[in-house]
Amino acid sequence: MCRTDRVPTAGILWLALVVIMFVARSIAADHKDLIHDVSYDFHGRRMATCSSDQSVKVWDRSENGEWHCTASWKTHSGSVWRVTWAHPEFGQVLASCSFDRTAAVWEEIVGESNDKQRGLSHWIKRTTLVDSRTSVTDVKFAPKHMGLMLTTCSADGVVRIYEAPDVMNLSQWSLQHEISCKLSCSCISWNPSSSRAHPPMFAVGSDDSNVTYGGKVQIYEYNENTRKYAKAETLMTVTDAVHDIAFAPNLGRSFHVLAIATKDVRIFKLVPMRSDRKESTSTGPTKLEVQIVAQFDNHNSQVWRVSWNITSTLLASSGDDGCVRLWKANYMDNWKCTGILKGDGSPLTSSSGQPTAMSTIVGSSVQTSQNALNGMSAGRYFFPPLDPPRAGTRYGHLLPPSSLIEHCDAEPIQPQQALPYRLSSRALLPLPEAEGQ
Amino acid sequence: IMSGSKPDILWSPHHPDHYVICDSELGLYRIGPVGSSETKAGTLPLSEETAATLLAINSDTPYMKCVAWYPKHEPECLLAVGQANGRVVLTSLGQSHNSTCKELVGKEFVPKHARQCNTLAWNPVDSNLLAAGLDKHRADFSVLIWDISSKFSSEASVASEKIRLSSVDLDSSSVVTKPLYELGQNDACLSLCWLLRDPKLLLAGMHRNLAIFDLRNTSQKTFVNTKAIQGVTVDPHFPDRVASFFEGQVAIWDLRKFEKPVLTLTEQPKPLTKVAWCPTRNGLLATLTRDSNIIRLYDMQHTPTPIGDETEPTIIERSVQPCESQIGSFAWHPSSQNRMVVVSAANRVMTDFTVFERISLAWSSTTSLMWACGRHLYDCVEDGAEGVESVIEKDIATKMRQRAQSRYGHDTVQVWRNHLLAGGNDPQLKSLWYDLFYILLSHMKQCAEDMELKLQGNKQSVVYSGIKNIVKTSSGTKESRRCWNGSDRQTDLPRYDSEERCLALRLCGWMSRGPDIGVEVFLRSLEQDREWERAAAVALFNLDIRRAIQILNKGATAEKGDLNLNVVAMALSGYTDEKSSLWREMCSSLRLQLKNPYLCVMFAFLTSEPGAYDGVLYESSVAVRDRVAFACMFLSDAQLPRYMDKLTNEMKEAGNLEGILLTGLSKDGVDLMESHVDRTGDVQTASFCMLKGSPGEVLKDPRVQCWIENYRNLLDAWRFWHKRAEFDIYRGKLDPSSKPLAQVFVSCNFCGKSISYSCSAMPHQGRGFSQYGVSGSPTKSKVTSCPGCRKPLPRCALCLMNMGTPVSNCPGTGKSDEKVDLTRENKLAQFNNWFTWCHNCRHGGHAGHMLSWFRDHTECPVSACTCKCMQLDTTGNLVPSDSS
Repeated sequence: MCRTDRVPTAGILWLALVVIMFVARSIAADHKDLIHDVSYDFHGRRMATCSSDQSVKVWDRSENGEWHCTASWKTHSGSVWRVTWAHPEFGQVLASCSFDRTAAVWEEIVGESNDKQRGLSHWIKRTTLVDSRTSVTDVKFAPKHMGLMLTTCSADGVVRIYEAPDVMNLSQWSLQHEISCKLSCSCISWNPSSSRAHPPMFAVGSDDSNVTYGGKVQIYEYNENTRKYAKAETLMTVTDAVHDIAFAPNLGRSFHVLAIATKDVRIFKLVPMRSDRKESTSTGPTKLEVQIVAQFDNHNSQVWRVSWNITSTLLASSGDDGCVRLWKANYMDNWKCTGILKGDGSPLTSSSGQPTAMSTIVGSSVQTSQNALNGMSAGRYFFPPLDPPRAGTRYGHLLPPSSLIEHCDAEPIQPQQALPYRLSSRALLPLPEAEGQ
Repeated sequence: IMSGSKPDILWSPHHPDHYVICDSELGLYRIGPVGSSETKAGTLPLSEETAATLLAINSDTPYMKCVAWYPKHEPECLLAVGQANGRVVLTSLGQSHNSTCKELVGKEFVPKHARQCNTLAWNPVDSNLLAAGLDKHRADFSVLIWDISSKFSSEASVASEKIRLSSVDLDSSSVVTKPLYELGQNDACLSLCWLLRDPKLLLAGMHRNLAIFDLRNTSQKTFVNTKAIQGVTVDPHFPDRVASFFEGQVAIWDLRKFEKPVLTLTEQPKPLTKVAWCPTRNGLLATLTRDSNIIRLYDMQHTPTPIGDETEPTIIERSVQPCESQIGSFAWHPSSQNRMVVVSAANRVMTDFTVFERISLAWSSTTSLMWACGRHLYDCVEDGAEGVESVIEKDIATKMRQRAQSRYGHDTVQVWRNHLLAGGNDPQLKSLWYDLFYILLSHMKQCAEDMELKLQGNKQSVVYSGIKNIVKTSSGTKESRRCWNGSDRQTDLPRYDSEERCLALRLCGWMSRGPDIGVEVFLRSLEQDREWERAAAVALFNLDIRRAIQILNKGATAEKGDLNLNVVAMALSGYTDEKSSLWREMCSSLRLQLKNPYLCVMFAFLTSEPGAYDGVLYESSVAVRDRVAFACMFLSDAQLPRYMDKLTNEMKEAGNLEGILLTGLSKDGVDLMESHVDRTGDVQTASFCMLKGSPGEVLKDPRVQCWIENYRNLLDAWRFWHKRAEFDIYRGKLDPSSKPLAQVFVSCNFCGKSISYSCSAMPHQGRGFSQYGVSGSPTKSKVTSCPGCRKPLPRCALCLMNMGTPVSNCPGTGKSDEKVDLTRENKLAQFNNWFTWCHNCRHGGHAGHMLSWFRDHTECPVSACTCKCMQLDTTGNLVPSDSS
């Protein structure tokens, strides 16, 4: 077994963001091969990981913040790409998808009492979804308000939407929709908005690297009248392979925000056109005004994942530079890099050819950390604050002076920022949906 | 493979910290941590943490074309060098006094005909065997396998060689001319590798085919025609998988189905120079093209299947950039995970580099970030350490959590205090909660007045509609010209007055209610808050220069006061309304240099023409409430609505909560709040603010309902269930329509009626199951049978009493070893009487009894029932994170 000798097993590194202090800590994952996905449950108290070792592990967080693996089992006969939690109101339910062309639904059941005492839980397979003829690349549950619905997408370019009509019986899933996206699909994301003004919507990304095939992100919307999903938009400017896609938690905002991991990090704003809101149900998909609000090539390579925090005010991305980067918008919707950590939790250093914005401050607060494991030295890394401190300014200071906005090392490339582009009407026509035979 | 002076790198097979760079000479390096390798001259930094020390140089072997490191432990630093003339020389780096080494070093293996040696490969098992691949020479063999232990050389051939290569002084005793095997007749060999699955098999990239030679039967070979014959290399993790390349294209072969490549990788525009499998990781192939500063990685996720399966392996293409300069060559570290050393094409600049695995990541609901890199997980937790908080502004998610815990929004009496509960450092929130405070205050006052006048009217809603609407309806405005306070000098300034404007001033907080009408109360409170400039400006706008000067003097002399305020006061005292005075001229030009916006607007006001106050009205650093109040005093009925509209739109656009003063809690206010939520995501403030709007119309707005639902969802995700419940109670008071229906009722086994139904249906009887219900009725009636049919209620599974009988004593509770707060225990005592049951097996009893039973048991107390009642619900086992 290969062992890495460069990963600090119990090192603690501090990272200060404009807004947040973080401490990174390594956890012995004990997967026998690469971990492909990590997913939190609704409350953030449980976590699931999946790996090329064909297993899924479930982790529970104790009150003192430690993670304990409480279940680990073989789920598929191939690499497991993704794992995801259902909302807890449907029970403790997981879904996984794999190279073995299947997706599976798992439910935790009451185990033997001694299992519980040993801190183990028992998961059983409720169903295997075998409709795909190729690798199933992503699996996601639909937002809770839609009921218990599961979506998969696969390398053959098909999105499948399943529904469990009886939430008490998770062994029965019916294939409700089969939508052909024409391009190999790599990732899918539901718009989490529960507002009635927003019909169910998801975005699907393709990792097809042929740029001549056009837009690699498609957005589909449910039409109440036809009871089908129809394409609402294709992001024509995203022509390179897309590896991950994430709708931001809507939180009652009037628009949707979509983060895309492609050769760079992109953030799009999708603004439903208000005037069509009423008629949209009858005439077709909601017209969306698509604006690109940020585009960052700081990873200087392929970007693999993007993830939003619960208020969609922080975005995390990972790329082939081996770094995790954090992004945040200021009040004026200007997105900035606010933190960088290397994949092994260590701070980024200048030798990697990347600009570094860190300076070490020997802080007295270091020893306040309860987590100083192994007595390893901990250093705090501070980033210069992006926004001017509010103290001292009086009321009504709406705009920070422009000189203060632009002094981060991470300059966004913001093409067409001021010019939201409209797609041709042809692109707005719904694509005929291939319903399940 | 080396061409020209392009460098190559070889890691030592046994020393994990030794490697050799070969270009025109051989250089042996040791890699180590930056600090530890005592700062010797010649230490080269390879990365932030590591540096290399040059240990030895060997320039004995000119015309080097390829190098291979002897795989056995002893001798340590033995290298085979293939030369341009086809000779293979054994050489060494560093001093080795080992006898076998001495014997071997300097040994030469000479082919019959001189031509370039392209490649060398040591047999991994029989380490005496060294395979060399040569260019074509007529019908001669191109693959020679030498036995380095052979001692004899044919004198005849040596003699002939000597003639040809007279420049090289040959020691005939160390020259071997007879290979053990000769293969690949009439062909050229460009690359070689021994197969790991059988060390008797040698894979060779020949002129136009890949061939597998078997040393047991050299007359036969397996081959496949292909152009991809360069750089053959076996995957150390799948001995049947081989990579080779031709120009920009890599072919992957499966030796079990050797007819054609199992796949070919995307063609690169430039020719490839190196292709290497990662030795520490499954299915990771690194490739390098000429004139490039990136290394392209192909992540083959899957074990090839033995049978001809049509499954396409998923290949993830990646690229990494180890250094800025163009890369000459690279080499994977044999044991260190995903690590490689890279050498630049020029100047031998080396870089120690580790390829990170693709990182997947996720945020939790409580803003901790988990990521997975390779087989490792990293938990990035938000740090709660004190001290840095004042410096660094937190994310709204963190702010909302902290505010929820400090009961932000819940102060319904001193409404303005909510901004303190929010942390007290957000000017917009301060403004918002003061607005709401004044609105509610005026509302109450108006209600009281209406009560007196016995008015039922729609007038009450006017305070909610915002100043913009209030002043719009302004009628009977009186224009007056006042004197400067304390002097009888008449001013030119027309001041406007009306009932509505007066209300607006109250809502701005400038005027207080009650008998003490005037601005003095407000001024004093500003002085108390040490807002000297603002107080002075307000005094001045109320035409009281003396008071303004007095305030400034006070500010200058106060502790930590700004002495410059005295200078300002002096300037102020020189005020003259003479149009062409020097004072005016200087004030107009110098006021812009004043940093404090309030000082600035004071002079703007004094130097303005009557009715043209843009210098005051559009000074965006001045609080909206002050500008609005100013406008209400000095703008005419024609000007005022225009200014209000403009300001309102500006506030709505920016989502600035100060604008709530103008919009009130009307639809306009919802629009403004929407803009604020769009920008900040602060649904908490939006929810609490809109709940204050008692007209109810704004609460019906779907946007408001959406914010409330989103806020409740946040509280649930954070497990702030108590806070959510409190919020619901609070909401229910203000918005009765939000009250949920009863969730569950217990029905009688016999008549099917709810046992509490009868109570609620006949409230006048005052009897019932209050001890089961939420409220403890003072009349503690004992009801042990169904009020509908009078049949007895089920018995408690533990005490076997009919339900309804109060719990006498509870074993297990109040144990001496458990330190329990007595008052808390008493509060919970009633709970012991509650009726509870398992939803699965439907056995139950007194809550207190069941609780104590399950402290020690996992199974149901009813005999023969094996239900594990306590383990059924995972969410039920979660504890709220906001309980104290």
